[in-house]
Amino acid sequence: MTADLSRWTFWVAIAAYVAAIGLYVAFLRSRAPRTGRLASVVAWGGAGAHLASIVLRGVSAGRGPWGNMFEYSSLLSLLIVVAYLVFVEVRMGIRTIGAFVVGFAVLTMGLASMALYTYPAPLPPALNSYWREIHVISIITASSLLTLGGIFSILYLFKERKERRLAQAERADAAELAARDAAPILGGSGDLDATDPPDYAPGADEPAVAVAGRRKGLLPASETLDRLAYRTIAIAFPIWTWAVIAGAIWAERAWGRYWGWDPKETWAFITWVLFAGYLHARATAGWKGRRAAYLGVAGFVSLLITYYAVNLFIVGLHSYAGV
Amino acid sequence: MADRPRAPVRLRASLALAWRTLRSMRTALILLLVLALAAVAGSLVPQAGFPGAAAEIERLHRDHPFRADLFQRLGLFDVYGSWWFTLIYTLLLISLAACLFPRTRALLRNVLARPVLVREVDGFRHYAERPLTGEPDAALSRARRVLRRRRFRVRGPEDATIAAEKGLLREIGSLAFHWSFFLLLIGVIYGRGTGFTGTAVIAEGETWAEVHAGYDGSAREGRFFNEDHSGLLVHVRDFEVRYRDDLSPEEFTTRADLAHPDGTSIGPVDIRVNHPANALGVKLYQAGYGWAPVVRVERDGEPIADAPLITVQPPAAEDEDPRTLPWRGILRLPSLRPQMAIVFELYPDGLAALASLQGGEPLPMVENRNPFLTFDAYRGDLPETAAFALDSLDTSGMEKVSSGLVGEGRTEELAPGVTLAFPELREYTVLQVSRDRGLGIMLAAGILILLGLLPALYDSRRRLWVRAERSGEGTMLKVGGFALQRRDQFEEEFARVVDDLAGVDR
Repeated sequence: MTADLSRWTFWVAIAAYVAAIGLYVAFLRSRAPRTGRLASVVAWGGAGAHLASIVLRGVSAGRGPWGNMFEYSSLLSLLIVVAYLVFVEVRMGIRTIGAFVVGFAVLTMGLASMALYTYPAPLPPALNSYWREIHVISIITASSLLTLGGIFSILYLFKERKERRLAQAERADAAELAARDAAPILGGSGDLDATDPPDYAPGADEPAVAVAGRRKGLLPASETLDRLAYRTIAIAFPIWTWAVIAGAIWAERAWGRYWGWDPKETWAFITWVLFAGYLHARATAGWKGRRAAYLGVAGFVSLLITYYAVNLFIVGLHSYAGV
Repeated sequence: MADRPRAPVRLRASLALAWRTLRSMRTALILLLVLALAAVAGSLVPQAGFPGAAAEIERLHRDHPFRADLFQRLGLFDVYGSWWFTLIYTLLLISLAACLFPRTRALLRNVLARPVLVREVDGFRHYAERPLTGEPDAALSRARRVLRRRRFRVRGPEDATIAAEKGLLREIGSLAFHWSFFLLLIGVIYGRGTGFTGTAVIAEGETWAEVHAGYDGSAREGRFFNEDHSGLLVHVRDFEVRYRDDLSPEEFTTRADLAHPDGTSIGPVDIRVNHPANALGVKLYQAGYGWAPVVRVERDGEPIADAPLITVQPPAAEDEDPRTLPWRGILRLPSLRPQMAIVFELYPDGLAALASLQGGEPLPMVENRNPFLTFDAYRGDLPETAAFALDSLDTSGMEKVSSGLVGEGRTEELAPGVTLAFPELREYTVLQVSRDRGLGIMLAAGILILLGLLPALYDSRRRLWVRAERSGEGTMLKVGGFALQRRDQFEEEFARVVDDLAGVDR
């Protein structure tokens, strides 16, 4: 009964999220603040239904609702949406990337309910420890933030490329103008006031936001995206570190060894290494910017592998009945 | 030839270059990525010694001999023990140390040194002036109080100036974080090196001793292990599996009494999954279980064997439920002339076995209900091998003398004068026994890693200078400062500090 209700609210949440994505896209195109606010409200509503679904699932299973892949996916996508709404929308006042974040959450949920759904069930004895709560909750919190960091890094790479192209085009325009102005005596004055002075190049001091509105593009400036990515990853990294340590402590109690290069452990380690690389790269001359962002994206891909590929395709100690 | 440097100079130059390269962040980043790549290889190629990997490696050798051979040569079947994996992390640690030594020295200098005084404070990124009433000295002593309350390190007033700084914790944390990996490594080497891990198989009612012979060669011992086994005595009173309604196991419990080597009691313990027992420096983990039928063989009324026999489950085919299969055990009787061996199959739940036979659908046998054994007795020369397999026997040099079935509490005749009895069915427990003295060090390293990480990511180095100059009746307070990290946040902090210094209530 509660299991069915949980399933039903889950679909309500998906429907609300899809509507929110539509509104976010409309907001990107129209930039009408009202549409943006409406998108947020619908997304918050979806998150409410989603939370209800997860709580009901926990009640139905008689345990914390993070015991298998379906439950984990559901909770993960809720945390991604909430972290986005709180950190990006409320704290930073940016609404323009909602469609991407909520879109990723819906993708995760859709995949979970189509491929990974299992009926709520109790767990094998190895999982019967309070360390399960500690380990899984910190893993899932860190994962949601790392996912946001990954999305921001991907968007950054797109935006950064666009800005570079734009800057190039500006320079080309400027050069052309300069060439045209080289013979002013012949044709009288051109429409000089309508263009920037030829030595003006966006990106030197100010970010490309200064470029004319038509070309500004839909996304926030690359600098903003970079900062967003860094902040979320810098929050997530200690949590991930703690989650891995907690996992090792638990493994020592449950399996009698703290580290065994089990596929899950190995990929958690690879993810940790890549994000550690990201944090270092961002503070290193010659690596900040694009290279750091590539590392962030690699870490994100590794996170997805840690979660999906290791559970579904590689058998190890972290494989449990019913995925 | 005169302008070519001599060999030692060139050598020193290239060593210096190698050292500089090694300690650059670029090298460290690349090594970090290579380490990740190696771990990827380790997760994709089956690793020898991992559960199920032996069969996979064998299959690879059979189906793709070339690839398997290549993997073998590259050490890909044992990535984490390979020389190149060791090389990668050793280089990484050297690179790390090379980077950390100068930073640690610089930090010590910074901690010992007092903040630097400057004359002009208006050249910094942040600057503010506030006119105050009162004497400059009063303003400065107030500034000193305010800054100390805000946990700045303060120097002065000297020459009407105060220098203050904050945020050394960032570097301290960062260094603690990075150095902790060496501590972690020490913990691993010390713990693994001086420790051991092995499995103990103990039937209910039996006592097992934590000594070298107790492991039947199953113990993996560290490189510096010097046979100092604890001698702990483990008497297993009872083993229990609790099942749920769907026959999936819910809890495994071994109830045991622990004792010192001389027999003085330590006390009773319950060993469960996630609840290891800890005594005399060793830990006992619940690792497995099985059935141990007590079998008694007598010749002319003289007992030859009378002990619980460890039986194991043969590997199940993919579409089989292993719980429906009988358990297998072998009793070797080398003292008989001629020698004998008996191969047993145990059906722990006789009722389920019977129902499976009648219904055609195999049923799981998880309970002890009317158990029975089927047996094949062989006579002849036992194969002369050092290692006895629990579930297989080479009978090529032997002849079968009898086979049959014996129920619990029954006695059957194997051969003239030789009887087999099955008085009762017990369970046995499998405990993993390990000692790792490095765990404390590793835990400390883990805590330092976490504690270091937080200020390393969130604290920032900030410097402030306050100068008070007489201006007319009152004082002009000049405040300058900058932050090396998190500059956005410093802007607000600077404004608040200035208000505080000027005595403005916010």
